[in-house]
Parts: sequence; C-alpha cells; structure tokens
Amino acid sequence: MTLLQMPERAPSRTGEWDFASLVRQHQAMVFSVAWHFLRDRALAEELAQEVFLALHLHLATLESPEHILFWLRKVTTHRALDVARSRQRRPIVSLEDAPEPVAVTPPGDPMLGAALRKLVAALPAKARMVVVLRYQEDLDPTEIAAILGIPIGTVKSQLQRALTLLRGKLSRSRGEVGL
Amino acid sequence: MKTAGFPLALVLFAGMAAGQQVKWNYDKLAARASDSVDVNLDGSVLRLAAKFLSSDDPDQAKAKKLVEGLKGIYVKTFEFKNAGEYSPADVESFRAQLHSPDWQRIVGVHGKEDGEDVDVYIKPEAKGIGGLAIIAAEPKELTLVNIVGPIDLDSLSELGGHFGIPEVEVEKKKEK
Amino acid sequence: MNLEDEIRTALRRKEPSPEFTERVLARVSGMPVRRAPRPWVRWVAAMAASVLLAAGAMGYRQYQGERAKSQVLLAIRIAGGKLNKAQKRVQMLNAAHRNNS
Repeated sequence: MTLLQMPERAPSRTGEWDFASLVRQHQAMVFSVAWHFLRDRALAEELAQEVFLALHLHLATLESPEHILFWLRKVTTHRALDVARSRQRRPIVSLEDAPEPVAVTPPGDPMLGAALRKLVAALPAKARMVVVLRYQEDLDPTEIAAILGIPIGTVKSQLQRALTLLRGKLSRSRGEVGL
Repeated sequence: MKTAGFPLALVLFAGMAAGQQVKWNYDKLAARASDSVDVNLDGSVLRLAAKFLSSDDPDQAKAKKLVEGLKGIYVKTFEFKNAGEYSPADVESFRAQLHSPDWQRIVGVHGKEDGEDVDVYIKPEAKGIGGLAIIAAEPKELTLVNIVGPIDLDSLSELGGHFGIPEVEVEKKKEK
Repeated sequence: MNLEDEIRTALRRKEPSPEFTERVLARVSGMPVRRAPRPWVRWVAAMAASVLLAAGAMGYRQYQGERAKSQVLLAIRIAGGKLNKAQKRVQMLNAAHRNNS
C-alpha cells in the first residue's frame, strides 16, 4: 500500500522540473506499459517518445511528482489503447518472433515468463491493459479505474476474468491439472 | 523469541504537543514484515476525502461524521510470516512515548484465545479528547493507530455493524 | 506456483534502448531525429493529448479524492476493528465479573 499524501504545490514553470531526470526516472515505466501492451518494441519506443514530448508540453500544468506519474500512466495507457484500436486490421506480429527488449534477466522461470507475456498479449485490449497496470505497476483497482476512466467494478471483474483465463490457458499449455 | 502472551506495543500515535503526530522509525520492523499497510492522512487529505464520502451510504455517512474536524489519521500494520519475528523490545520504545502526562491508557486487554493484546490510549484536553492511540499486538501482526484531533468516542464505539466490523454481542452466562 | 506473482515477474519493467533519453531530449530541443515517427502515431498522439489536457486537471482531483476516500474507509475499518475487539473483551470481563459477584 502506498502512501497518500497531499503534495506541496510544485513550481509552475517547466524549467524548474529537471525534464531529463523525469525522462530517466519514468522511461522504464512508460516504455514497459507500451511494450507489454503492444508487444512491438519499436512501436513501444516511439509511443514512449511521444508521451515524453507531450509531457514536456504539459509539464507546467502538473502539480507534483505524484501528479506527473499519474499523468504519464494515463497518457501512455490511452495512447497505447488508441494505437491498438488503429492496428486492429493489421496482422498481429508473431509473438514467438517478437524480440525481448534488453533487460536484466528477471528471476523465476524464463519459459513461464515468456508464456505468460504471450498469453497476456492475447487478452482483449482493455483486459490486457488492466492486467499490465495491476501487475507491472502494482496499481489497485481504484487507481486503474481512474486511469482508464471505467468503473471500479468493471476493473475488478475484468481482472478476475483475465486471471481465470490465464490460469486455464497456462494449465492446458503445461499439461498441468491446475495452479 | 516467542511473543505470544506479551502485550506487544506498537505505537503509532499523536505527538507530545496537541495536534501533532509523532514520527516513528519503523525501518527495522518494516524490514522483517512480510506485508504492511500504511495509511497517512493529514488534515488536508481528510477534508478532501470528506467531500467524496457519500451521505447516502450509511457507512460513508458515518465515516464523514467521524473525520469531521480531525487533524490526522495514521495507521500502520505489519504482518509477519511467523510468530516470534518481533519482540516486546522492538516496540517498547514506541510504548515508552505514551508514558507521559499527556496520555492516559483507558483500556488494556489480553486475549487468551487469539493471543491479541489491545491497548487504547487517549489524550484528554480541556475541550475533550485530542488524540487516540491504539496498540494491537498479535503473534503475527502488529497494528498501530493514531487519530489526531477532536475525537468523538461515542461515534467510534458505534462502528460495530458498519465497515465490515462485527456488532459487539456479549453472551450472558446462564444464571445458576 | 502463485500465478499473480508469476505475472508480476513476467511483466517487470524493462528499460528502452540506451539512446532513448538522448533521442527524447534531442526532439525536445528541436534537433533532427534519425527516425521520424509514423504519421498516424503523431495523429493519435495529438488527439489523445487534446482530450486529456481538457480532462486532465479534473481527472486528477477525482483520482486524489477517490483514493483519499478509500484510505479513510480502510483506516476506519482497521481502527474500528481493534476498538471493537477491546470493547467486546471489556464487556465480557464486566459480564463475568457481574456473574461471579
């Protein structure tokens, strides 16, 4: 559980925020939301760049570090969803061929991780984004609902359905009875 | 070190001066806890929350009435995988801060069945109760609650039946 | 295996390419970039930005308020639960005392 604190009013001029630091601080988050959602590294980087360009334009309107984080998550999420909608007619990239970004090898079973990422990528767009926000960003349903602009109940039911689906598909693919 | 049966004190409570919260250093406990809940709500956040609490919902209406005028609500809960992962000494320093003329312990109960000790302290002021502190210690969980501000104990005691809190029902023993 | 933990591990944040920050800063400062974004990405970005700018400030207040509300309710649940336990035990002790006297 994260702290909830009312932030001090931040300086209103863009120049008083260290933009380069903000990029470095948040680039992994922005890129990863886009990457886990779109599963296209080049597209994810492009989208991430656009998000930061937009941040630069709107920085003066943002009140605090927490507000910046909220804003980045919201803009990244909505842009990724828009991109996914506009790609609907395009053939889906084969996930077996999708190269993984360079990163420190995460702990755990890499095969399982790859399988899960593939299964998450196959979820319907909204459910996929709910899963990404929940498990990549560790956001609770209230926060996810605020970012996506949907009711909390919808977030919870989508999360539940997605987990049931993932559990079932993973079990079948591994020949397990259940998890 | 076993802790069951010890009145483990977790103190999270208002400061020495009226309206102030004492800042505790929980780092050691936090490092050992498997999970924790951390709620820090100062006056401005409480006022904001009050605007969003609905008067139409019975629970929220009660909450709205409770937080009116409060200066802060601070809650810290640590959960541990096993009993014995914290000791009375861990929290003794916190408890010691309540040993002051400002604070008065009004309840201290020990539960034999579940091993939970609950201590409740108030901070009496000229116009009423200026602070409340609760220390609840179970073998695998420690909770500290601090409420700062004019407190209506009657409202607090009427929370049973709301917020998922069971009503207080005490069975009377059959007379011989 | 805990599925949620595995999903968390699978969806850990990853860094973009090493030149990412440099490219963003270059674009911000107006310098030419090596790769131009695809036109439809820019269009989508512009549309999303204009909508979000209008709704942004209000959306964030709403978010803060809802979070504050849920935190208050959580705090009351925890505090009330502990008080309730204490109250119950005191009443049990009083009842036992009355029965024994």
